[in-house]
Amino acid sequence: MSDQSKEETIIAQLRGILEESSTSEYDWDSFGPQTTIESLGLDSLTILDLLYDIEEVIGIHLEAKEVLNVTTLREITALLIENGA
Amino acid sequence: MSHQSPETSTLTRRRVVVTGMGIASALGIDEETVWQNLLAGRTGIGPLRSLDASEFKVGIGAEVPEGLVEEKLKTLRRRPMDRALDLAIVAAQDALVQSGLISGEPPYEEQDAAVIMGTGVGSAQNHYAAFTSLFEKGPRGLRPTSLPRCMFNAISAGLTLQYKLTGANYMVVSACTSAANAIGTAYRMIRDGYADTVVTGGSDAFFDRFAFGVWNNIGALSRIADPQKACRPFAIDREGTVLGEGAGVLVLESAEKATERGARIRGEILGYGESSDATHLTSPSPIGQARAMRMALKEANLRPDEIGLINTHGTGTKGNDSCESQSIRDVFGDSTDAVPVVANKSYFGHTLGASGALESISALLSIERGEAPPNLNLENPDPECRLNLVGSKPVSIKRAPAMKNSFGFGGGNGVLILGPGD
Repeated sequence: MSDQSKEETIIAQLRGILEESSTSEYDWDSFGPQTTIESLGLDSLTILDLLYDIEEVIGIHLEAKEVLNVTTLREITALLIENGA
Repeated sequence: MSHQSPETSTLTRRRVVVTGMGIASALGIDEETVWQNLLAGRTGIGPLRSLDASEFKVGIGAEVPEGLVEEKLKTLRRRPMDRALDLAIVAAQDALVQSGLISGEPPYEEQDAAVIMGTGVGSAQNHYAAFTSLFEKGPRGLRPTSLPRCMFNAISAGLTLQYKLTGANYMVVSACTSAANAIGTAYRMIRDGYADTVVTGGSDAFFDRFAFGVWNNIGALSRIADPQKACRPFAIDREGTVLGEGAGVLVLESAEKATERGARIRGEILGYGESSDATHLTSPSPIGQARAMRMALKEANLRPDEIGLINTHGTGTKGNDSCESQSIRDVFGDSTDAVPVVANKSYFGHTLGASGALESISALLSIERGEAPPNLNLENPDPECRLNLVGSKPVSIKRAPAMKNSFGFGGGNGVLILGPGD
């Protein structure tokens, strides 16, 4: 699978996770790799839940410190691919 | 003596007024709908929607009509997080808009207001989810945010975050007395000058298998299957209470600040009394209840015959209603027969830690509109409950202070004296 199709798969998985767990309203039609963490209303606490869900759904464990400076979903996707997704 | 009586207080006592009221209940989530349902004698109790009733002895409850909370949350750019918090967020929005402290949708500006809320079971929905995950997956199954989601003060903290309220925030947890105790605490904070504005009330939601299950098994719930007839406060054929989810939120302010802002004053907190029975974990005592009523009347500087309405705790259980009738008669003496008495739990269900708030709002609306709603299912009043119980039609009441009683498991008693507004 190419990195692009991997990215698409992961983005779809992330959308599923966040649609289920988000406590903020968000325009899900515009959801994509360019989506920022900030626009999703995630903060230092709720991003820990995202990492938990990623491990549950995708099976890859990311450390909190790895995503400390991440600003978009594309960067999270890249980290997941790097870690074997 | 630990209680500082009004006469010995060295603090300046300020008047405390109500400038906003918000409701999330089985009767609706806006004041007018709720009031019309009360007057028309329409109960919010129905077959359970959010639980598989076949697992339980009881299959009915008072749930907020489907979709109302979720729709309102959308306008606030939120999605459901925990039912008790969600209900509180919805009720608080109406209360704050009504008070004029916020307008419309977020974002909101920071303001100095405290949040003191009551709850019986707190973030029960998140607790249930966390325990389910723990038992299925072990400790690693606990989400990182399980802790902040499950803490009891998630409700008061969530309100400060949503509405940018920067005063103190904490919860009062005393079973069914929680909201009355919270409102009493908020009242004292303003009365004694520790806060100018407090958002207060109560919120509870327990239609999950654990919280609803434990209530099923203690034997306090009515086994009458017909939702219209199940909750029968003060009736001779009452069989128990019916649970309901809900939140009631009041904005309390010093009269000085409310007047300065030009806020509409919807009512006043004139007095508050509290006590503990210290006799039994779940059986009430008329002595403890009467002590709280007398304390509240004394603080309000009122005689019993000056009370124009009693909004009872009135759960519809054998034990509560007989005991409460006795304690009212002990306190009101000869004037007992002149005071109209209502019980709201046949409408809202027993909303536990929210009941003192929802029913205080009902009492304030009664004072404001000059009418007391009917008592449902009271075709045959219990002769042991010798009170001036309102019948099956609303009655006119005089514009006078009302007493709101709340009593809880744990032996706690909280009594508020509510006065008219502008």
